[in-house]
Amino acid sequence: MLSVGYMLLTVGVLMVLAGCWCMIRTLHMLKITIGIEVAMKGVTLFLVLAGRVSGQLALSQTFILTIIVIEVVVAVVGTGMAVGLFRKYGSMSVRNLSRLKG
Amino acid sequence: MTLVLIFAGLELTFGIYAVASKSILRSAIGLALASAMLSTVFYALGAQLASVFELSVCSGLVTVIFISGVSLSHSPKLDLQGEYRDRERNRYLPALLIGGGAVMLALGFLLGGGGLEFAADSAQSAQEVLWGSRQAEVWGQIAAILCGGVAVTVLFREERRDR
Amino acid sequence: MLSVCAHGFILAPIAVVLIYNLLGRDFARRHFVWFAGAGTVWQLGSAFAAFALLWRTGGGSYRFSIFWDMRAPGAAYFELSTLKVFLLLMIGLVSLVSVLVARQTIDANRSSYANLLMILMLGMNGMLLVTDLFSLYVFMEVTGICCFVMIAMFRSRADLEGAFKYLVMSEMASIFLLTGFAFLFMRTGSLRYEDLQGLTATGGLLEDRLVGVAMVLLLSGFSIKTGAVPFHSWLPDAHQSADTSVSVLLSGIVIKIAGVYGLMTVCRLFEGFSSMRTVLAVLGAVSILAGALLAARQGHFKRVVAYSSVSQMGYILLALSTGTTLGLIGALAHILSHAVFKTTLFANAAALHEQAGTLELDEMGGLEERMPKTALSSVIAFLSLAGIPPTLGFWSKLLILLALWQSGKQGLAAFALLASIFTSAYMLRLQKKAFFGHIRDSLTDVREATGTVLAAELLLTALTVLIGCAYPFILSALGAQGLL
Repeated sequence: MLSVGYMLLTVGVLMVLAGCWCMIRTLHMLKITIGIEVAMKGVTLFLVLAGRVSGQLALSQTFILTIIVIEVVVAVVGTGMAVGLFRKYGSMSVRNLSRLKG
Repeated sequence: MTLVLIFAGLELTFGIYAVASKSILRSAIGLALASAMLSTVFYALGAQLASVFELSVCSGLVTVIFISGVSLSHSPKLDLQGEYRDRERNRYLPALLIGGGAVMLALGFLLGGGGLEFAADSAQSAQEVLWGSRQAEVWGQIAAILCGGVAVTVLFREERRDR
Repeated sequence: MLSVCAHGFILAPIAVVLIYNLLGRDFARRHFVWFAGAGTVWQLGSAFAAFALLWRTGGGSYRFSIFWDMRAPGAAYFELSTLKVFLLLMIGLVSLVSVLVARQTIDANRSSYANLLMILMLGMNGMLLVTDLFSLYVFMEVTGICCFVMIAMFRSRADLEGAFKYLVMSEMASIFLLTGFAFLFMRTGSLRYEDLQGLTATGGLLEDRLVGVAMVLLLSGFSIKTGAVPFHSWLPDAHQSADTSVSVLLSGIVIKIAGVYGLMTVCRLFEGFSSMRTVLAVLGAVSILAGALLAARQGHFKRVVAYSSVSQMGYILLALSTGTTLGLIGALAHILSHAVFKTTLFANAAALHEQAGTLELDEMGGLEERMPKTALSSVIAFLSLAGIPPTLGFWSKLLILLALWQSGKQGLAAFALLASIFTSAYMLRLQKKAFFGHIRDSLTDVREATGTVLAAELLLTALTVLIGCAYPFILSALGAQGLL
């Protein structure tokens, strides 16, 4: 029988995998930002699990609070850029992003 | 502890739904639900403060940001058009996830249950730790919030001011 | 005295941001360069002062905290040491050059530049001062977000594209790093440097094995931030699309603080993992070669310079891979010389863009007669980059080669020496296409760069030659401290 900690670790790994997949494969720019957030959810799960395993839950909570603040700022910046690019191209597809090459 | 696992499983389900869904609006809602489930997991594990923030900020504010992003760009109907070819490009996602899960579970059984036993918690509260000994992070948060404010003024400024 | 300097590294940028935004909007917009300049000059001055004070006490360290009790058990604190103050000095220097360039390239409509530069400096200062891996991550993320916004500041297509690519890669790095930190935290219950020292991956528990995974994740996370091959894809795009005053910052300091300093920290904390040094050596060697080869086939001035950054980061990684004090000094020396010659080249790019109106190499040619001072500074930067004595670059490469040789990696030393030939090759091509040969008809009325951009070029050129000539004294001073 697997321990609860290990099951949570598995869930976190799968969340990070799904998020990274979304960042790499998706063509929609907003969805790439959503992928970042999904992976971050997995990472926060790792952190709270680490807090429980090491017995320092209070410390890991302060880490998570900080990460939440940063997550919001990243979401704002990513959405802002995606909307800006949408205004230029009329589409959210990353296929338009091919001006810089070499 | 069963409850933790159920909510963690739901979180994973909604997360995958956010990644695999064709409509961007549904993706955003899936993310919000995953976030809400995560906050329940936090609560069940005893991280109450983080749970509150996760629920209010991540599943509230971040969803608002994404949905306003969607409405600033286009109607959700347009996403159903095949421009982004989500179905085709996500074809191998189930294989990846099932493979990853299987590898993790197999490793867990090889290691004899996986370990990672929960330890007894130290008696400190999160507020004490944050304000008492971890103020370096508070300064970092101040910097991040300043940065977010400037980012909003720079990135969401109206087009006409640029000329 | 030292305490004023130390607190200033965190509080001064915040103070500048507050004052700047509280003053009248029109006044602030018109004089934004002066606010940014004041912040950078303060940084430069206080870093000099702190360096002098610390050096006199014999390279000790100084701990401080702002408004909290650092003697509580498990409390975080800030720390100054000679190494960190040296890097803080670099931040001040490069930011000053960026402000000088920005005075001519950024107009009052982009006055957020002052805000962003200050928060960027705060982020990098914080990264250096903290003594905890998680705080390091927080300030690194602040640095990164400021860079995205600065690149996207002009909101042209290329800007937003470069910034978005950087954002995605950088968040990937963040995810790797945080996962690694969580695994370390699982084992130790703390992320302070002093609690992590001497950690090994041996032991039967899963927590122990995860420490090894954490190492891999930390290495790849910081390598993305450094722009080492094969994680370099964002770097040339971001550098090319950004305004030149921002490229100066990105190439001059951000990849070094956010990437190389992170790697330095990881190497210092986990000396027990010898395989990590092998990985660093391989990454470094691949970066040197691939960066140089890719630089040789680019058609855009800033893109060539950006790929050259990838290649030069490789030298720094090689120096770190030795794990000796001499290697660390070589890496720091190369950070100095790379900051100086790379900012020179980007200042040249600003001058070319301002005067000739293009940065495409095929549209340039023969600009030497029209812009003799720019051409001269570019040639000196090239000499420094190629490692010709008595410039700065010669000494730092010499130190790196010595460090490699001493630690028994003769093969790598020979490789690094040979790879310098490629460096010369792509830089010669750049010089020839931009400055030498016959002048094009479309460029006959180009004038020499003026004002602060020219001042920046001349200042940096003087630094390259003067510090290069003074290097024997610096080395003997280091020897007197017992560091060589």
